Formats: sequence, C-alpha cells, structure tokens
Amino acid sequence: MPDKILMVDIDQCIGCYTCEIACKQENEMGTGPRWCRVLRVGPREIQGELLLDIFPTLCIHCDNPTCVYFCPVGAIARREDGIVLIDKEQCTGCGVCVYGCPYGAILMDEEENIAGKCSLCASRIDYGLEPSCVQHCIGGALQFITEEEFVRISQGTHMTGTSKVRYVSSKWKLAL
Amino acid sequence: MTSGDVFCQRCGNLIMSGKTQTEVLRVINENRLDELRDQLMICPQCRREMFSLSLIGSDLKKVSKVPYVPKRRSEDIRPLKMDSRTGAEVFKSECFICNSGCDATVWVKDGEVVKVEGDPSSPVTKGVLCAKGLASKQILYHPKRIKHPMERIGERGEGKWRSISWDEALDLITNRFKEIENIYGQDSIVLAQGTSRGWTACFSRFTNAWGKQRTGPGVAQCALPRISASLLVTGSPVMECPDYEYTNCMLVWGTNPPATWPVKAMSMMQARARGARLIVIDPILSETASKADIWLKLRPGTDAALGLGMLNVIISEGLFDKGFVDKWCLGFEELTRRAKEYPLERAEEITWVPKEVIAKAARLYATTKPASITQALALDQNGDTISTGLCTAMLAAITGNIDTPGGNIIPPHLPVLGGLIDSDHVLKERCLSKERHEKRLGGKEYPLLAGEACVTFPTAHNFTLWKAILTGEPYPVRAMYCHGNNMAIAYPNSRMVTEALRSLDFFVVADLFMTPTVEIADIVLPAASWMERSIATENIQVSYNNVHLQQKVVELDGCWTDYKILIELAKRLGFGEFMFRNEEEYRDHILKPSGMTWQEFKEKGIISVPLTFYKYEPNGFNTQSGKVELSIQKLMDLASDPLPTYREPSESPVSTPEVAKEYPLILTTGAREPVFRHSELRNVPLLREIWPNPMVKLNPQTAGDLGINEGDLVMVETPRGSMTAKAWIRPDIDPRVVQVPTHWWGDSNANLITDNEKCAPLTGSAQLRCQLCRISRGRF
Repeated sequence: MPDKILMVDIDQCIGCYTCEIACKQENEMGTGPRWCRVLRVGPREIQGELLLDIFPTLCIHCDNPTCVYFCPVGAIARREDGIVLIDKEQCTGCGVCVYGCPYGAILMDEEENIAGKCSLCASRIDYGLEPSCVQHCIGGALQFITEEEFVRISQGTHMTGTSKVRYVSSKWKLAL
Repeated sequence: MTSGDVFCQRCGNLIMSGKTQTEVLRVINENRLDELRDQLMICPQCRREMFSLSLIGSDLKKVSKVPYVPKRRSEDIRPLKMDSRTGAEVFKSECFICNSGCDATVWVKDGEVVKVEGDPSSPVTKGVLCAKGLASKQILYHPKRIKHPMERIGERGEGKWRSISWDEALDLITNRFKEIENIYGQDSIVLAQGTSRGWTACFSRFTNAWGKQRTGPGVAQCALPRISASLLVTGSPVMECPDYEYTNCMLVWGTNPPATWPVKAMSMMQARARGARLIVIDPILSETASKADIWLKLRPGTDAALGLGMLNVIISEGLFDKGFVDKWCLGFEELTRRAKEYPLERAEEITWVPKEVIAKAARLYATTKPASITQALALDQNGDTISTGLCTAMLAAITGNIDTPGGNIIPPHLPVLGGLIDSDHVLKERCLSKERHEKRLGGKEYPLLAGEACVTFPTAHNFTLWKAILTGEPYPVRAMYCHGNNMAIAYPNSRMVTEALRSLDFFVVADLFMTPTVEIADIVLPAASWMERSIATENIQVSYNNVHLQQKVVELDGCWTDYKILIELAKRLGFGEFMFRNEEEYRDHILKPSGMTWQEFKEKGIISVPLTFYKYEPNGFNTQSGKVELSIQKLMDLASDPLPTYREPSESPVSTPEVAKEYPLILTTGAREPVFRHSELRNVPLLREIWPNPMVKLNPQTAGDLGINEGDLVMVETPRGSMTAKAWIRPDIDPRVVQVPTHWWGDSNANLITDNEKCAPLTGSAQLRCQLCRISRGRF
C-alpha cells in the first residue's frame, strides 16, 4: 500500500478542538504540551471583509527535518515513510531541538524532561488505522490520503511543500 | 524571576530560565550549532503562530472550493472485538456528554476504561466524536465525582456533609417527602429535570407515576417553543430535522453547530464541500458564519422581523412554491397580508441587517432547491418565541421544502418508546388530573408551556415557581427533587433561583459533581455517567432514523444509574407498581414496539428504519385540518394572534428607552464554547486548558470608548446585578451589542444578570438573547 500523507484543509476546519483532545488521549497526555494545537486567527477585518480562520497545527514531518540535524545525541530520526520520530529512550532533554524547529512543533515535557512532538500516530498507521485526529476530525479538515489523491484534490495549485503534512486552502489561489 | 531568564521577543512569555539557557548554549557550542542562536529568542508557540500566519497570508479572497473526500462508513470494523494493537476490549456504546447521542466505542483493559473513540461503523457519525466526547474518561474517573449518598449536617450551603448508605438516604427522602405532602398538600412537591440525556423518558414516567408537576429541562428556553411552532404549522417537528445529505442550501438560524451539534456540523461541512450554499443568521461571526456565503448580522432578538421580511420578499416576488401552497397550505392570504406589513425598509430598521442582504438571503433560500433550515436556541429566547418559530416553519412550507429530500423532513416513527416527541406518553394514564393540570404553575398564562401544542415536557413556569416557593402564592411549594439539573447556575436570574432553593424545607439533588445546586441540597445522590448506563435511545435532532445502543461498560462503587435511582425511589414512595421492577424490565418496555428484547437489541447494536420522503401525500399532515396551517386555528382558540408577528423585546432601546439611557448596550447571552456543554465540563483540565477563561465579546469601538483593553476584566451590569469576564475585543460584533458567555460558575455566571420575569407570551421563555446592560472596566 502506498504511503499516505496528512492533508490539512483550512477551508474545512470548524474550530471544534476535537483533534487536540484526540491527540492527548491517544498519546496519554495530561495538560501541558499540546502537540496538535488549533489556532484561531481573527475575527479580523481585511480589505473591509470580516474573516475568521481556524486551523490545526502539528509537526509537518519535513523532508529535511532540522531537528534531526540539531539533536546532539541522534535521538530524532526520519522513517522511510517520512514520519519523523523522537526516541524517548535516547532523548536527554537538552532542549536544543525545541529551538531547532522553525515551526515550533517540538515541545518540552517539563515533568519527564524529554522533548515530544506529533508522531502522526505512527503505531496506528503501522496497524492500518488513520491517525486519531484524522478519524475524529468533524469538519473533514484533516484527511489521511495517498499522494495521488492529494494531487487530484489540490490540483497542484494551493498547497505547501512536499512534506508528510500539507496544508491546502482555496484562499491561496490569488496569493500564489 | 531570576537573572538570565529569557523572554520571548514576540509575546513576552518566559521561554527558559537562565540555567536552561546555559545548558542549551553549552550543547549548541559543543556541537557547533551556530545557526540556532537566532531562534532562541522566540518561543515555540509564537513560532507556530508565525508559521500559521505566513500560511494564510494577508490578502485573502475566497476563490473556488478545494474538492473534498467525504467520510465513509467503514464496514470492516465490527462493534465488539479485541483490539490486538493495545490488547483492550472494545465495546460499542453511545456518548451522552451532550444530548446528540453519538455512537462511540469504549476501550476497556483490566476492567478500566483506557480510551473512548468514535465508532467507524456508525451510519450517523462515521467514526467521529467531538472533543467533549473524547474527554469522557476524564469525567468518569474524575477525582471529584460524588461517590456515596450524603446528608447535610451543617447549615444549608455550609458544605458540611455526612456519608450515608443508599438505604438510609432513600428512607430519609421518603419520610420527608411524605411529611411535607401531608402538611402542605400534593402540589407542594415539584420535580426538576436536567437536560435530555437518555433517561428523560424514565423521568417523565416517574413524574407522571408520582403525579407531580415538574420544571422540565429548561424547555421554555430550549426546544419547546420552536418545536411547538413547528407542530402548530405542520404537525411534526420538521424544523429539527434538516436533511443535509441532499440539500443545496442551508439556512442556519441562531445556532453554531461546531460548538453545539458537532454531528450536524459534520454533515453541514460535507454538504458545503459538495457545493451547497450556506446562509447564517448570527449577531457575531461564529465558526459557522465564517464559512457562510451570506451572513446576516442581526440585532439580537429581532429574528421574527427578519423572518417576516424574508417571507415578504418571497411572497411579493412570487418565489414561493405555488403548487405546494395551493394544494397543501391553508391561510396563505392571511399570511400574505401580514408579511406585507414588513417591507424591507421596516425589516432593516428593526433588525439592522441591510435590506439588500435580507433580500439576497431570501432569494437564495427560495430559489435554491432543495433548501433546508437549521435552527436552535436563539429562536427560543426572544420577545416572541412562537412567532419566530412560525416564521421559519412557514418559510420552509411556502417554498415547498417540507419532507422533501434535502429539505426539512418529517422524522420517521422509530420503534422505541420515549423519544423526544412523545416521552410524556410513556405513562399517559397517570398524568396530572385535569383539575391539577390547570393548577400547573404558570399554566394559565403560558398554555403552550403547559403542553398545549407539544406534549413532550409540560412544565411549570420558572418565575412563577420561584415566586410560589418564596411567597406561598398561589400555593406553597416546599420541597423539590432535582435530577441532573444545575438550576442555581443554568436558570435565568440565579440570585432569585438560589434564594428560592435555599428557602425550601427539603431539597434532594442527584448529580455527578458538587455543583452550586448540590451545595444547597439536604440529600445528595451520586448518579452515573454515560459509560455506566445501558439503554436504547433515539434522538430525532441528530439521528433521524436510528435507534442507538448505550451499553454499560464499567460500574463505579456507590454510583447508581438514573434508572435505578428513580425505580428504587418509586418503590419507597409507594407507586412502584407504576414504574418497573428493575432496569432490565424498563429497557424491555421501551423496546416493545420493535418486537425485540433488550438482549436481542444488544446483539444487533442498532435499529435503522428507512428514511422516506413525501410522507404527507397519502393522509395529509398531522394537523387539525390535515394541511399546513399558515394561519393557526389553535392559536386562535387560545385567544392569540394566529399569524407570526414581531414583538419588540421587553427590554430594548426601542421598547424601554428610559432603561436604555442607563444601560445603553444590548446584552446577548447564550453563545457556547466548543469545549463545554451548558454548565458542565469546566472541571475537566484537558478542556479547560483550551478555553481557560469566560470571555465577553466587545467591539473595538465600545472597548475604546470605555478604555478597555484585550484581556481586561470587564464588569457587565444590568438592573438585576453584575458579572465579570475577560474582554475579547473583535470587530465582527456590533458596537451596540455585547455578548457574554453563559453558564460559567461564580462571578462569571451570565444568569446573575439575566431577567426571568418579563417572558415571551404563550411559552413563558426568558428573553435571554436580548436585554440591556452597561459595561465598565472591572474594579479589582
């Protein structure tokens, strides 16, 4: 089966915060670091139009992850299917990767003193399931699909990068 | 703060202590990671926000829609199995954190719930479950759950309790209730029921079997007016059941499904993704409104004028469905004359919505076929709730969108007793006698509240009830049994409610947590959450054609299910023969129409009946005349206006200019946060982390005039009192309007400032969406 990618469709996000709780439950986390985090931009006025944008942000699992490069003990690695994982056992909690990530995706767990981030529910994927945030996403903003499906859906125009997690929005057609 | 601490250059929050910085710098130096130094000065959260902002850019214009892959029901997952990945047993059940009733799976390992997920085999939810539902485990194992019955030993409200056994508690309750009944008479005991949660029908039966009146689950302010209106016009609760699957236009009126009906939001977003148009009526730019093609920003409480304005556009421009109106509608002439009184100019003046926007919305709704209306609470909390409900039902009727695919459908009859529409019929014969029914508190003034049109929850009128408790007029009410209802927070005018509850002779509450209502009680009974109950349920508001299975997966020591509490109480109080011997018998009873026993249903997991359309064709509508009534005979019988009309809210700049001088801003309450439900869930850390504070929404202009900055504590005052919340300054809200959060406990409770005396006619609804207030920076 071909590797799938996670598409974040900003048009479909309804700001229900389901992905955040789904993530916390799957990874057995309490309050504190929020690997998946819903951001609200607005409501704000742009060119006389009132806009409200809401979307989930999570690790985008870069093609060339800087965190892998920066980790002094080699605890972070990119799997063949593109998922970037932190090895809890090897992590020393130095915190360098937190500052090495340009997207602010890695967060320190102060209590256990290890760095953590979205693993794209690697254990669920290996088992043939969708990541938990995708299964529970109510608006359909998070979709776990193949590269082919993604190209068909995004029509190659409104998208970011080539990483494992890609954002799409119809709003970018003019901007690009 | 110690020297060497590093603060984020963007948000000013502490990034790391000096010690950590030394450590990080040491690692950077040792490993020659020089390029990292620049990023040290901005916190991860800000970097994430900056990344997001770079994504959406600044010069946005909505263009075409990205195609969307709808969620599909996956057939390969069976309801009950072992999960080999985690070693957990997976049980099918139904989430009842709110009353949507979404199918869920509960994962149990070694007798303990480890996880709650959606159920991918569900035809309704297709595997999703919202944030609230996913946090169910936190409620189940919450350390503050009440675990044993308790008796008050100190002063009322002092917080001193003694643990007692269930036997002792039930004996105490029985004796006290009997004592009070002997002294003050049958009507001196009133029951209070909380929001609809699967056990509603059982509670109805309990109420009827005991022969008491109740104050229902706040229905005067929720569901009863709009369902009554829908029943008056079409004889069915059609307006609760928009068919999203085939709709091409969704008119969403006074509701924000992402926060309140996640499953409806899911269907709406799927419909929108395949190109359905979306019209939203809301005073703020809600999540739903932000996705809309047309957003009507109306003055809170003027919904009926907007509805009449839209009816006028559709009728005068001939956009109505002539075939349907001629064949199936009565009273079209009268409605035409009434609608003519609301030309666009007048509608604009009342509602503040520009007339071209009203016309555009009316035309889009009328000319797009099929079109559906989704409506909710805002319709039940204004100056004339029935008229508002009539307007929406008549909009659907004259455009021919009743019971068509993609319109508003007549829900099919489900083979289970005790649904939303007939739960009071579970035990008809023991309903209040005619004589006592007429004595129902507020029944004369508010006939529809007493069940004249919608028999589901005949209810005592709140204000009249509190007054009866406080003054003994028209007759004394001295004791209450309250089941899952946080009245001290959730009912309008909390001060009066609390005072009334405190002055009762005897007050019993069954609940999960120590709520402000429980704190006033004499006896507290610990109830069970949804994973501890078993029942077959239906909810036509979300799942039109399915009966769902809720299964008990765990049992907590000391907590009883709602069914068990009610059945055992009935036995002690002496009407056990009208209830049931045990829960099993009750479950079998409500499943009787399906011809199944509980055990058989449990094996099957779900009962689905086919969704059919045009059900009125053979035998007409379920109204007196068999047709859709646009001029309503029943209202005429009640000596009321048979047509929808606009009534200015009892408190508004127009109707009470003298009050508006002192309280110049329009106060609207009731907007929900997506992670909370009514007065619940603020005690769940995972959810509270997302939405930590109650926020009052203000326009920058309003805030600027009063010197209020983002995040300042704001005091909102009305003639009833004051509340505080943090300022959320946003340009989407009208400068003349303030929206406060609802149902927070303590000083931030909106009901501290709401009025419950000036009510809408016929239904006695408090006008929670449209009162007057003034605000100031809090003095602290």
